[in-house]
Amino acid sequence: MIEYSDVHKAFDVPVLTGINLTVDTRETLSIVGPSGTGKSVLLKTTNGLLVPDRGDVRIDGVSVYDSERDALSEIRRKVGYVFQYAALFDSMNVFENVCTGLRDGEARRARTPEILRKVCEALEDVNLAPSLVMHKLPSELSGGMRKRVGLARAIVGRPEILLYDEPVTGLDPVNTATISRLIMEIRERSHVTSIVVTHDIEQALEISDRVALLTHGKLRFVGPPASFRASSDPVVRAFADREAAAEAALELVEGGQSEEETEEES
Amino acid sequence: MRKLLQKTLFGLLAHIGRAAEGALRHAGEMTRLVWRVVVVTLTGKVALRDVMTQMMSVGVGSIPLVAVTAVLSGVVTSQQGGYQFTSSIPLYVLGSVVTSSVVLELGPVMTSFVLIGRVGARITAELGTMKVSEQIDALYSLGLDPVPVLAAPRIIAGTIAMPLLVGLADFIGVFAGLVAARFAVGLGPESFLFGARMFWHSWDLLYSIAKGLVFGFVIPLISVHMGFQTLGGAEGVGRATTSAVVFMIITVLVLDATFPPLFLN
Repeated sequence: MIEYSDVHKAFDVPVLTGINLTVDTRETLSIVGPSGTGKSVLLKTTNGLLVPDRGDVRIDGVSVYDSERDALSEIRRKVGYVFQYAALFDSMNVFENVCTGLRDGEARRARTPEILRKVCEALEDVNLAPSLVMHKLPSELSGGMRKRVGLARAIVGRPEILLYDEPVTGLDPVNTATISRLIMEIRERSHVTSIVVTHDIEQALEISDRVALLTHGKLRFVGPPASFRASSDPVVRAFADREAAAEAALELVEGGQSEEETEEES
Repeated sequence: MRKLLQKTLFGLLAHIGRAAEGALRHAGEMTRLVWRVVVVTLTGKVALRDVMTQMMSVGVGSIPLVAVTAVLSGVVTSQQGGYQFTSSIPLYVLGSVVTSSVVLELGPVMTSFVLIGRVGARITAELGTMKVSEQIDALYSLGLDPVPVLAAPRIIAGTIAMPLLVGLADFIGVFAGLVAARFAVGLGPESFLFGARMFWHSWDLLYSIAKGLVFGFVIPLISVHMGFQTLGGAEGVGRATTSAVVFMIITVLVLDATFPPLFLN
C-alpha cells in the first residue's frame, strides 16, 4: 500500500499543495490532469526521486524519506519505474539495460544461464523477441521498442509496485494500445500495485481501478472510471469534454486529410 | 537620483549575494561528492573494471594529444630562450631554462588543459545528457547509487592517470627542447644536459607530479559535479559544459598559483 500524506512540493511556484491519497495493494490508479499540474512530480515523490517540501510518502508503512540510504535502495528495488522516454542507458545494449533491473546486484550484467533466462522472460513479457533485440543499443530501437525495453527493465526484478510516467506519450495508436494491454497483462500476471501518470484519458479509464484528477496541485477527483465518466463536477466534466473535443477535432482533421488524399488519388 | 543610486546599490548587493550563494552551494555539493567518493572507494563499492575503462579513456586516450602539446611546449621554450640568450648569457643555461619551465610549469599546466578539453568537457556533457534524459534518475530508481557507478571511477582514473601523463609530458617536453636547441641555436645535447643538471633539484619532478595529482583530482571532480547539476535539455547540457570548462580552467590556474609559495620556498 502506498500512502501520500499532505505532500507539498514547490519549484519557485507551488506544484503540489497538500496531496492525500492511498493506493491499495494490487490496485491500478491512473493520475490524469493538464500539463504542468505536478503528475510526474507526484510520481517521483513515490520512490524518493524528488523529496517533498512537506508531508510524507509511505510504502507498506515505511516512510520513503526517513529511511537510510541502504533502506531507501531496498524500497526502490521493490518499485519498478517506467520513465516517460524510457531513460535507457545509451552505452549499454538491451541485455545490459534489462540486467540493471535485477535485484541481485552482484550478478548484474553477468551472462549466467539464470540471468539470461530472466532477461529473456522479461523481454518476452513485453512482446519483444530476445534474439532480435538483445544485442542492440537503445539508439537502434524505435520509440515503442525503447518504451517496452524500459518496461522490461522495470519488471525483470519482479517489483511489487510499478510506476508509469506517461507510458504512451509520443507513441502511435498501435503502440499505445500495445502498452495499455501490457500494463493490464502485467497487473493480471504479477499482481502488482500500479500508478500510471497519463494524458490519455481513454487509456486511464480503460486500465484503471481508480482515476485521480490532479489540477492546480490538488486532487480534484479520485474514484472509479464509471464515477469519473458520470461525474457532475464541472472541472471533471470540462477535462473529460476537452479530451473529447480534442479527439473530435483530431478526427475532423484526419478525416479532412483522408478526403484530400482520396481526391488526389482519384 | 538618490533612488536610482539606492536601486543600483541594492541590485549590486543582490547580485553579489546570489553569486556568493551559488559559490557556497557548489562548494557544499562538491564537498559532499568528495566525501561520498572517499566512502564508496574505501568500502570497495567501486568496480575495478569501471576504473580501468576510465583509465583507458582518460589516460591512454590522452597520450597522443599530451605528447603533441609537450613537444610544442618544449620546442617553443627552447627557441624563444635561445633567441633571448644569444648575446650575454652562456647558451648552456638554456638547458636549465627549458627543463625548469617544462617540468615546473608547462608540463602540468598544458597537460591539465588537454585533460580539461578532452576529458573534462566530455564527462560533463556525458553526465549532463544522462541527467536531462533521466538516466541518472533511472539509476536511483533501480536502487543504484550514481557515485560508485559514474563519479568515483572517473575521479579515481583522473587522479591516477594525470600524474603519469604529466611525467610523460615532462620527459617529452625536455627531449623536444633538447632537439630544438640543437637546430635553433646550435646548442649540443651535452651542453644542454650540462645546463639542465646545473640547476636541477630532484624535488622539481615531485613538485610537477604533485601538481598533476591535484589537477587530476579536481578536473574530473568539477566535470562530474557540473554534469550532475545539469538542468534543462540540450541547451542546459551546452551551458553546463561551458561553465564546467571555465570553472576547471580558473581552478587549475588558481591552484597553480598557490603551488610556488607553498612548495618552492
